[in-house]
Amino acid sequence: MTVAPCIAAVEIARLEKCYGPLKVLHDISLKAQPGEVISILGASGSGKSTLLRCVNMLEVPNAGTVSIFGEAYKLEQSPDQPARVTDRRQLQRLRAQATMVFQSFNLWSHLTVLENLIEAPVHVQNRNRKACIAEAEALLERVGIADKRNAYPAHLSGGQQQRAAIARALAMHPKIMLFDEPTSALDPELVAEVLKVMRDLAAEGRTMLVVTHEMGFARNVSSRVVFLHKGYIEEDGTPAEVFSNPRSERFRQFISKYAH
Amino acid sequence: MNLLDVSFLGETFLALCRGIPLTLQLTAISITSGALLATLLAALRLSGNRPLDALARGYIFVFRGTPLLVQLYIIYYGLSQFPELRRSFAWPFLREPYWCASLALCLNTAAYSAEIIRGGVISVPLGQIEAAKAYGMGQLTLLRRIIAPQAIRLMLPAYSNELILVVKSTALASTITMMEVTGIAAKLISVSYRPVEIFICAGAIYLLLNFSITRLLRLVERRLSRDQRPLVLATGEQA
Amino acid sequence: MVIGAWNGPGRRVGAYFDLMGFADSGWGFDMLRATAVTLAVALAGFGLGSLFGMLAAAASLSPVSSLRHLADGYTTVLRGVPDLLVIYLFYFGGSTVVTDIGRLFGAEGFVSAPVFLTGAMAIGVVSGAYQSEVFRGAVLALSRGEIEAAKAYGMGPFLRFRRIILPQATRFAIPGLGNVWQLVLKESALISVVGLVELMRQAQIGAGSTRKPFTFFLTAGVLYLLISLASGAAFRAAEARAMCGIRRAS
Repeated sequence: MTVAPCIAAVEIARLEKCYGPLKVLHDISLKAQPGEVISILGASGSGKSTLLRCVNMLEVPNAGTVSIFGEAYKLEQSPDQPARVTDRRQLQRLRAQATMVFQSFNLWSHLTVLENLIEAPVHVQNRNRKACIAEAEALLERVGIADKRNAYPAHLSGGQQQRAAIARALAMHPKIMLFDEPTSALDPELVAEVLKVMRDLAAEGRTMLVVTHEMGFARNVSSRVVFLHKGYIEEDGTPAEVFSNPRSERFRQFISKYAH
Repeated sequence: MNLLDVSFLGETFLALCRGIPLTLQLTAISITSGALLATLLAALRLSGNRPLDALARGYIFVFRGTPLLVQLYIIYYGLSQFPELRRSFAWPFLREPYWCASLALCLNTAAYSAEIIRGGVISVPLGQIEAAKAYGMGQLTLLRRIIAPQAIRLMLPAYSNELILVVKSTALASTITMMEVTGIAAKLISVSYRPVEIFICAGAIYLLLNFSITRLLRLVERRLSRDQRPLVLATGEQA
Repeated sequence: MVIGAWNGPGRRVGAYFDLMGFADSGWGFDMLRATAVTLAVALAGFGLGSLFGMLAAAASLSPVSSLRHLADGYTTVLRGVPDLLVIYLFYFGGSTVVTDIGRLFGAEGFVSAPVFLTGAMAIGVVSGAYQSEVFRGAVLALSRGEIEAAKAYGMGPFLRFRRIILPQATRFAIPGLGNVWQLVLKESALISVVGLVELMRQAQIGAGSTRKPFTFFLTAGVLYLLISLASGAAFRAAEARAMCGIRRAS
């Protein structure tokens, strides 16, 4: 009996990215199935953030394709011009399906926490405002900052801001969630509260791509681990495979440096 | 020279006050029209299009590099050199010192304001713009909901400076027969030969105007910055 | 310099150069001479302003609160009042004084004060207010650590000022002073209103004489732009020289 092939949530094929003469990503291919939690590890400069940012086209690759649930971004990738997206409508549509949580939170500082949560659902997805507010309240409750609904981002701690940012991402009903070093800018005491929220999301079966330095998360929560070095994928497998039998010497060194 | 001639000071002050409405009108017209033009210029400069950027830069360079008096005289005296203009529909306006002064002030302040607006827009934190894009916001929505509110708050201090400068610049209208505060002052001086007292009165009026404007804008800035100030809890301690 | 006998733009350009040329009938020499007057009065005013500015900056940083208030009042008033009013004050005020003195010596009627002098003083007093803020900011931008080190090494206040504070503050002040200079250049045009024959007044004279106001004022404008460009370049060069050896967040 054959199983009908599942459409990958995110499919990256033969991705290349250059900044001028510097090549940051070499021939990267990666598939994320729905429900997978993929941790992307690597030293700084390895290209991991660039890879993630190619998924929602905050960076446009110079070669290769990116598809969200089978739909590939329409790109113009000529050698002498900077690569660009050609279909803006499609770009906005696909971006709304794969929301991002940033290292520096990037909450909109002139809006309250609640207003931050409903801003994109109301103005990008054109959903009913009252319904969005109700949902936002529930999400804030869920990440544990319901009492901060009318506060401005400047009044929140780092951990609270990041939890608000995660709630903001959830408010879009995303099919995929992208996390770009979500805990790197936090004081150590505040990291745990954010990781807890992310663990709960993973347990729900969300598709998550997480660029992180948190070994614990990579080892215990993710379903797959990918290790990048200087723009090449050197490891790609389940945590069990990758952590107990690393094929790459560099990955061995990497783990030992970050293991507490 | 008796500086304590209160009755003279009083009369002078009242006479000068008659010029305030004109000063304020010229200020208001030139600031609002100048702001519109400045927004266009800033948009050209931020467009990323080289020729448009160069056009805006050229305009700004010319209007910031020449004295306002030259610009005013070119419009008021200079344009009459061209018979084509004298016959055109715009002539009834261009013949009047009121409109010439307004036009010159508008064109002048637009050049300075354009740089202020541009400064405000590029000061909006990049991360927040990126987040808006990542959430699928289109250019227009991004501009309207994220960039504009923050840019306006960021440019207020510089803009209030510019407003004060425009108020002072309205004094130049007196050189083309307009009787705003400085015009009346000049006439009074030439009649009474008591420049010090008249200067004191006129100066006081301008200082009062500037003071009021600064206070008003500071209030607006405070209202727009609720999100930045530290929270003070009911108990009086800071959050 | 006659440029062809074509119709249209060619003829217009030719006519322009005839008008502004350096022949007997041309206004070229007059405009250039007037430009020199503009530069002279601007320089004089800027120089006076530097003097007033330094005094006011020193007063604003002094521990004596009445001096601070005085400096504060000076900068607030002179930056808040139109330049034209200040020019009228100095010209008519100066003339009143000169007339009174003249009457002491038996002179009759109204004696006007020298326009160049009163103009330069008016500019000096106004630009002094702006320059005071520049100097103040420059001194405040100095690193406390360097001043402390100077104290720790036994340098007295005058020595500190001369060897540490002054050189560094000058470096920080150059961009601000460049801005004030541009303001002074434009302000010099206002002195035309009380009769000084600098560039603006000369253009008016030419315009009145030939009935070609646009041509003359446009030329004046271009000349101001050229001076402004040259000044800008000079200040940038001075800044570059002063900043060599200093690391700066680019």
